[in-house]
Amino acid sequence: MVYTKEEIFSAISTVIDPEVGFNLVEMGLIYDAECDDEGNVKVTMTLSTKACPLHQMIVSWVKEAVEKMPDVKEAEVEIVWEPVWNISMADDNVKKALGA
Amino acid sequence: MSSISQDFAPPFKLIAPFFILGSFFYLISSLYIFSFNIEDLTFLNPEVLGFVHLFLLSFVMMTIFGAMAQLVPVVLEVGHFGVELFYAIWPLLLIGSVLMVFGFLFSPALLPYGGVIVLVSMMIFVMEIFMTIFKVEKLNLVMTSVLISNTFLFFGIIFGLLIALAYAGTIDLDITSLLRGHVYLVVAGYIIITIMGLSVVLVPMFTLSHGFSMRPLEIAIGLMTTGVVLVVISSIFNIMILEYLGYFLSAISLGFYFYLIYIIYDTRPRKENDVYAISLMFSYIAMLVSIVLGVLYFIMGSEELLLACGWVLIYGFFAFLITGHIYKIVPFLVWFERFSPLVGKQKVPMLADMVPYKSSQAQFIFSALGVVIVTIAILTKSDMLIGAGASFLVVGAVAFIRSLFYMINFE
Repeated sequence: MVYTKEEIFSAISTVIDPEVGFNLVEMGLIYDAECDDEGNVKVTMTLSTKACPLHQMIVSWVKEAVEKMPDVKEAEVEIVWEPVWNISMADDNVKKALGA
Repeated sequence: MSSISQDFAPPFKLIAPFFILGSFFYLISSLYIFSFNIEDLTFLNPEVLGFVHLFLLSFVMMTIFGAMAQLVPVVLEVGHFGVELFYAIWPLLLIGSVLMVFGFLFSPALLPYGGVIVLVSMMIFVMEIFMTIFKVEKLNLVMTSVLISNTFLFFGIIFGLLIALAYAGTIDLDITSLLRGHVYLVVAGYIIITIMGLSVVLVPMFTLSHGFSMRPLEIAIGLMTTGVVLVVISSIFNIMILEYLGYFLSAISLGFYFYLIYIIYDTRPRKENDVYAISLMFSYIAMLVSIVLGVLYFIMGSEELLLACGWVLIYGFFAFLITGHIYKIVPFLVWFERFSPLVGKQKVPMLADMVPYKSSQAQFIFSALGVVIVTIAILTKSDMLIGAGASFLVVGAVAFIRSLFYMINFE
């Protein structure tokens, strides 16, 4: 394993949702990340809504953020809708800031 | 650079004319209110008809059509059939609606010409939407609502054209009967069903609400659809019992819709009361007030109640729902075009940073006061209050234009 899940999450945390102003990791949108020995990364994530108009852009931002890591060869991003995202998946600072 | 899907975000230059023209016509509609003489305010007064068409065609429909250029792919989850067709829609809608307003005010002979141009514009819109819907493999409830509302729009404009021809004396038809069908097809069938369908996508998207049942929407759309069909049948065959049943079902439908919006709003994790949230709150309260005024009209029969009901519905419910969403849609489109390619390369603004606080708040406060004052003016038959309300509305509309240009020019 070239990178741990935490290291990949840290790279993705540079991607901000422009509507809410929080990064995707603290929003709880990134479900999983794994990296094989050859530097191929697979990120499993969701979006706060299926109708998100930034769908494709967010996927490309996550892919770019991961591929910026020096030893990553290729990143694949899979969007899943189960489990459905809800605010309880977000970090406490997000909930507090939103007033949830 | 990221691959940006233009299917899901049409170029801003295509949509901007709809919003810019819509905002200027919101101002012109507000100025128009100064010309009202309270004693002449009746539903079939040409001045009132001119105002209603100016507001509904040039502001409401113009803005909705622009918004649909962006929202249809988001809601239907497929790209437009021919998004370039929107370049033809706004000039035709502009010319047609101006001709119609002049027709009502000065020369009925202009009405068929204006009506035909509006018809062509709306037919292009409806056909584009239908062709886009045909690309969808499986329709969900929201997609179905888009299909239903556009079908009603199609028939609504046919009715409108027949009325325009009859109004100009070209053909002999009972205008009053057809007018009910026309108004109901366009206002309830198109505008309200469109609002119902799109708002249950947009409101949860912006408030981050989840886990609510769509059953109330299903019932609301079913009841409203049945209500519209009954009123239309009644307008053709003059069966009054069907018409009243249609009005009753529509009121119940709005009740179910309001219940769903209340649930979404009540369970929203995002509690901030920005201009979007307060505009929507005002809008839905106006919808409830409009229903109450409509019910009172049926009990008491006073035309002021019906006029106030219509006024609160269009200038309270429709206008605030539209202006509220403009504060979300325009920053997104500008951001997408101007700032999204810079993500990861330099600091980019958040969407909320692009909304001007002072002018958006001023727009909300002045417009809300204006709506309330004009409602009181209609109910109390006060010319002085009409002028006072119009003054507030004009200041609100100017603040809205200022906000719109601030967002469009944000750098």
